[in-house]
Amino acid sequence: MAKKKMTKALRDFWYGKPHSAEEGGRRLGEILEDKTQLYKHREWRGVKDTFYYMYMIWGYNYVHMVTDILKYSNNPIDFFKGTWRYRWMGQTYLPVIHWFDRGLQGMRGEALRASAWHYRAMVSASIQQICNFFNGDTRLHGGKQNDAYWHTFLAKETTCGTLFYPWMDAGYQYVPIEMIPYFVTCHVNSHTVLNYIDAAQSIGLPGDPCPMCQAEAGIYVLDDVPDCAPFVITCNEACDGSVGTAILQDWFIDKPLFALPLPMQFDDPLVKQYCMREIEECWKFIEEQTGVPFDFDCMVKYLERQNKLQRDEWEKWDVAAKTDYYPVNGVAQALFRIFSTQYGIQGDFWEENSEKVKKIMYKCVEKKINPFPQTRHRVIAWSCAPLYYSNWCTWAYNCWGLNTIINMDSLMFDMEFRTDSYEHMLEDMATYHMWAPMRRMAVGGMHHIFELWDYMERFNCDMVAMYDQLQCKGMQGVHGLFEDEFRKRNVKAFWMPHALPDCRTVSRAEIRGYINDYMTTVMHEEPLDPSLLDFDDSMTW
Amino acid sequence: MCKCKIGKFFLKLFGILFAANAVLFVVFFFDLDGKLLFNVVEPFLKKHYDNMKRKDVLNMPYDTDKFPKYKYDEK
Repeated sequence: MAKKKMTKALRDFWYGKPHSAEEGGRRLGEILEDKTQLYKHREWRGVKDTFYYMYMIWGYNYVHMVTDILKYSNNPIDFFKGTWRYRWMGQTYLPVIHWFDRGLQGMRGEALRASAWHYRAMVSASIQQICNFFNGDTRLHGGKQNDAYWHTFLAKETTCGTLFYPWMDAGYQYVPIEMIPYFVTCHVNSHTVLNYIDAAQSIGLPGDPCPMCQAEAGIYVLDDVPDCAPFVITCNEACDGSVGTAILQDWFIDKPLFALPLPMQFDDPLVKQYCMREIEECWKFIEEQTGVPFDFDCMVKYLERQNKLQRDEWEKWDVAAKTDYYPVNGVAQALFRIFSTQYGIQGDFWEENSEKVKKIMYKCVEKKINPFPQTRHRVIAWSCAPLYYSNWCTWAYNCWGLNTIINMDSLMFDMEFRTDSYEHMLEDMATYHMWAPMRRMAVGGMHHIFELWDYMERFNCDMVAMYDQLQCKGMQGVHGLFEDEFRKRNVKAFWMPHALPDCRTVSRAEIRGYINDYMTTVMHEEPLDPSLLDFDDSMTW
Repeated sequence: MCKCKIGKFFLKLFGILFAANAVLFVVFFFDLDGKLLFNVVEPFLKKHYDNMKRKDVLNMPYDTDKFPKYKYDEK
């Protein structure tokens, strides 16, 4: 008996404790502090994976956070000045490693390695964007409009970064305004955004529109946006709440502004023609403001790189769809896609890390390694995810064996650009522009919303995680239609109510509660790790 | 004598590296960086941001005619 115990202890030390309770599992919920979810001690993943995590994720990313600043910043002192000046910067940059911890909890072997490389690319891209903000920010340079200021494009975060490729070789950088102050903060530190939501309501704006629009307006109300570019391009994000935000931005930015709308109706050839003309007008506006002409060759160069990245993703999706050897977890896959499509090609971090992930993936295929061996259900996640709990899928795999194979967020920009002629490129640009985040398959019409059934089949998924953004009037309108279709098609699906960035409206614990209820009362299943069923993470980042 | 000195040097180097890694491991394993950031650094920064003097943007006039309308396809 003692020998058996000793053998198990040695095995647990060398390989880490097994996943499920039946095998005397690891009980991940017990290593976290109540409320804050800081680690009492980090997870022992076995000798190899623990030290991989320590050196290649924890240590490697701390070091590279510093080297990235040195690489992308014109003057590293600006980075510290910016941290002191902007709340979203100071509060967000600090817990980055904890963001890795949440997304990679319980991961082992190839799943741990591949998912971490996606995170690395996102951190590197974010630091580049932060440096782009600060390099030209007049607030950090005594009101001086320096060279970086005159070489920065500022655009609303859902304006696609591809639009600005023609000026990249002329030394221009594109910054999606709210991507770092709003979007990234929600994932990394969900406390920060609450200040901005409250600020928007404090000036008398109603609290019931989409909290994303409120937060985006709130960063201006609190005067927390760098003044880093001579002009700005806004869009409506295909939502009336965002039109309101853009009006406030026009007021508070007080610079030449071009409004580039996303047509509310699309898949219509006439509307597409209109959209193509709007894009060309936007390019003329940039030419007029910068005095630098549109460079088609430069556009083609960057679009080719983006096409390559898209083809890489198709390779990965193919493995995800047809085999059990896809090593990227749900949150790492979805965020990598959103980050990379919104930033566009502005560095080599997407391509570099994508190659690393492909290498790991093909190792899994060749050696038949299943990186998620406890998968009970292959899940497709549909509609817009809760930003403050994007790592729910890591929890769902650890607790219930729900493996999120693909997300709607990943599929939104499922296309290549034609680069053989200006006309083809412009036509594809219009399509890409109209397939904006939260648009094509959210408020983009029944045809696209119900593409869910095709993708479910294509990715061999047997369950749907249906996000329910309570303050999105567009998606609320189709709730009942989904209910009907789920019943008609006999599809296993659970709803996940949330309020996009606002963790106060529906807490993470409530979201877990909905999934737990579904898995016990409808699926009659037992959790893999019961310690993760019910815990208080109300104060966590 | 010389060999002994080189040996001592490498032993010392190994000792220093081992100690540094042991300290790093303790910080890593017990999430001391996270605890420091959550309990000390973030509250300090929050206090700073809460007390920061900010421009009241509502006092800015909204000049809708300040810039041209940027219409390029109108003949």
